[in-house]
Amino acid sequence: MAIIKTEENPSPVSPPLSETSILGWIKKHLFSSVFNSLLTIVTLYIIYITVKGVWTWGIVDAVWVAENRRECFNISADGACWAGVISWLDSIFYGRYPREELWRINLGLFFLFVWMAPLWLPRVRAKITIGLTTVFLYPFLAGYLFSGGDKGIFMQVMFTAAIVCLVANTIHAIVGLFTGGSLPEFLPRLFGKKDAQEKSRRTIFLATLTLCFVLVFAWQMNWNVARVPWTKWGGLFLTLVIAGIGIASALPGGIILALGRRSRMPLVRVLSTSFIELFRSVPLITVLFMATTMFPLFMPEGFVLNKLVQVIIAVCLFNACYIAEIVRGGLQTIPKGQFEGAHTIGLGYWATMGLIVMPQALKNMIPNIVGNFIGLLKDTTLVSIIGLFDVLGMLRSVGKDLPWLGLHKEPLVFGAILFFLICFAMSKYSRHLEVKLSTNHNN
Amino acid sequence: MAVSDNKKDFVRIEPKESFGFFYDQRVRSVVYQLLTAAVVGWVAWYLVSNTAQNLESRGMNTGFGFLNVGAGFDSYFKLIPNEPGVGTYGRIFIIGALNTLYVSALAIIASTVLGFFIGVLRLSNNWLVSKVALAYVEIFRNTPLLLQVIFWYIGVFSLLPKVKKSIDLSGGAELLLLNNRGLYTVWPVPGDQLWMTGLALIIAVIAIVFLRRWARNRQSRTGQIVPTVIPSALLLILLPGAVFFITGMPLDWDIPKLAGFNFVGGANLPPSFVTLFVALSIYHAAHMAEMVRAGILSIGKGQYDAARSLGLREKRVMSLVIIPQAMPAIVPPMISNWMSTVKNSSLAIAIGYPDLVSLFMQTSLNQAGYAVELVGMTMAFYMFISLTISWLLNIYNKRIQLVER
Repeated sequence: MAIIKTEENPSPVSPPLSETSILGWIKKHLFSSVFNSLLTIVTLYIIYITVKGVWTWGIVDAVWVAENRRECFNISADGACWAGVISWLDSIFYGRYPREELWRINLGLFFLFVWMAPLWLPRVRAKITIGLTTVFLYPFLAGYLFSGGDKGIFMQVMFTAAIVCLVANTIHAIVGLFTGGSLPEFLPRLFGKKDAQEKSRRTIFLATLTLCFVLVFAWQMNWNVARVPWTKWGGLFLTLVIAGIGIASALPGGIILALGRRSRMPLVRVLSTSFIELFRSVPLITVLFMATTMFPLFMPEGFVLNKLVQVIIAVCLFNACYIAEIVRGGLQTIPKGQFEGAHTIGLGYWATMGLIVMPQALKNMIPNIVGNFIGLLKDTTLVSIIGLFDVLGMLRSVGKDLPWLGLHKEPLVFGAILFFLICFAMSKYSRHLEVKLSTNHNN
Repeated sequence: MAVSDNKKDFVRIEPKESFGFFYDQRVRSVVYQLLTAAVVGWVAWYLVSNTAQNLESRGMNTGFGFLNVGAGFDSYFKLIPNEPGVGTYGRIFIIGALNTLYVSALAIIASTVLGFFIGVLRLSNNWLVSKVALAYVEIFRNTPLLLQVIFWYIGVFSLLPKVKKSIDLSGGAELLLLNNRGLYTVWPVPGDQLWMTGLALIIAVIAIVFLRRWARNRQSRTGQIVPTVIPSALLLILLPGAVFFITGMPLDWDIPKLAGFNFVGGANLPPSFVTLFVALSIYHAAHMAEMVRAGILSIGKGQYDAARSLGLREKRVMSLVIIPQAMPAIVPPMISNWMSTVKNSSLAIAIGYPDLVSLFMQTSLNQAGYAVELVGMTMAFYMFISLTISWLLNIYNKRIQLVER
């Protein structure tokens, strides 16, 4: 008897029809039983009613071009009046920011994109440095672009540093993209020194940076943009500013609070825990009210915080406590052996945390942090209650504008779509990250 | 003996026993804590002294004496009677707190039921149904709750017809009417002997508990399964029902009737209440559905296979094997979802529902001042609720852990 089969295999059984054809799929997933069929038909009917209603109201009967609400009514009484939303589109995105200065906001957002894009490019190195500069230097660049006016000496230095950093970042990313190397490695080659020592590389790099700094500093001394007071800020722009500052400053604050909560020192632990629990157990709106009514009392006489700063401080405090719980959750996933291992090789507390524990924990936390950012972005709409004109405030003022008096539904629907697009994209992304970052291959 | 000779050559190096004072962990711990205390204490002192100075220079009053002072305003929706001018700020606090708890309790019940329902639909074999449930979840989770609340208020409940053209939700019986003044519903008026029916209900529940315990004991002794569902349902309906009829139906219904321009009688819930209730229920049901789904999916496939190989029917697989194991994964997030329902009910302020924040932190604060006390009391109320709920959660978690071992 031969081990090797000589005769031909009998033709394999083809998969059942239900697995291959569309009809089979429909039968299996939609009409597998009488009850399921009924369910499918009822659901189809509900979908039909909903889609038809929304379609006729929002698209077919809708008015896209009109001067005012009366005209909308004259053209179509039952449809949506998108003309009002369209004429307010600028305000919904930028608030009452001067129209001729809008390029500053766009430029600021573009810079943020350029600054953060390298984080997503796989070949670029030193991502942690790029991330840190985004958190610590970008706010100065954006802050000056958005508010303008005269720069103080501190602002001049930070603004210059931010621009130099942006340029260096971008060149570094391009270099990384093409060669896979870093900027300090690339610079000596420009000057014809192919195999420069580590030390001379660093010297050249720092020298170039300093030179750039001096040049930019000289240039920016005579470069000013007009001042735009914060009361003119509004719309989606303001929402993003508050949420962005909220997440960027809540991260360090949250890490400190979480470490405090896990500390062995009882006093530190009790203080951190009660701070976290205090802010987590009350609604954001009460914290915002507290900020606007009590911060003026907390400050020494004559020291006036504007409302935007009050709100931002409140959002930061509030969010830091939520981030602290996320960080604590992340720290709990790190096995004890990691702490003990770090201890054994002689690392102290901060070295253990910064070099061993946090890098592992942060990776676990990224999806939750993105989730927190989505929540923060949604919660930021609460500032419209205390009188800031964020995106919701702008959407609501469409219906108070004289030509569009009473037009409430359409702006709100538009806002809902806007938020849905942003939040849905981010939550999908965070789920993707969760899968990508998980090193657990058990499931 | 070369070895022992060599031994003499070794000089044991004594470890340096210098006591580095600042390198001792205990010392450091004390120093750090003292530093922290000093910094926190200084910040607290700084804020308090500034506040005291500011309050004095602005001539603002302090202290809790204002709670006994009559408030010059009234809430249009309240669960306890109040008279403007006579009712004190303390009473306003209670009205606000009750209003908050009332709307959140109803919303918690509705969102939990709806959330379980949507979560089950989400896991349905029917592709279309599960996708519709997914669309529901994603749409309501990814838009701000405040926007939803305002949309329900302006876009739906303010556009309802006038009183004369009320929408009848009870299908022509005029028991549940919806119009632009809110929801009008029949309201039970208990008679004298209704307590006997209530007593019968309690007795029926106790009897059911004993019946189920007896049935379980019998099953574990003899293996016979005694059906308990139908007998307990019968017991629950028949016993109180019989008592109710014997005592002569001591329950009247207060039916809303159109008189002039408005309805009289029955119970009236203002549009702001209905809005908040609907918005909170729908929003939190979407979150709830995801929790239910995640909890049930967290049970491994092996559990299903094992349960089926034991010969359990599909329903019993769910009720005896899957759901008991999924509950520990569902309950903790569910309770924190309840907690955020209570917190989110503070969005009432955007639509004028008189909850605690809107009555106390806004109206009272504008009327009476006392910023520190009012803000403190409001926050303390929410903290109290939150701590109570997390205490309950801890009890639950401990019980679960004991069972799990």
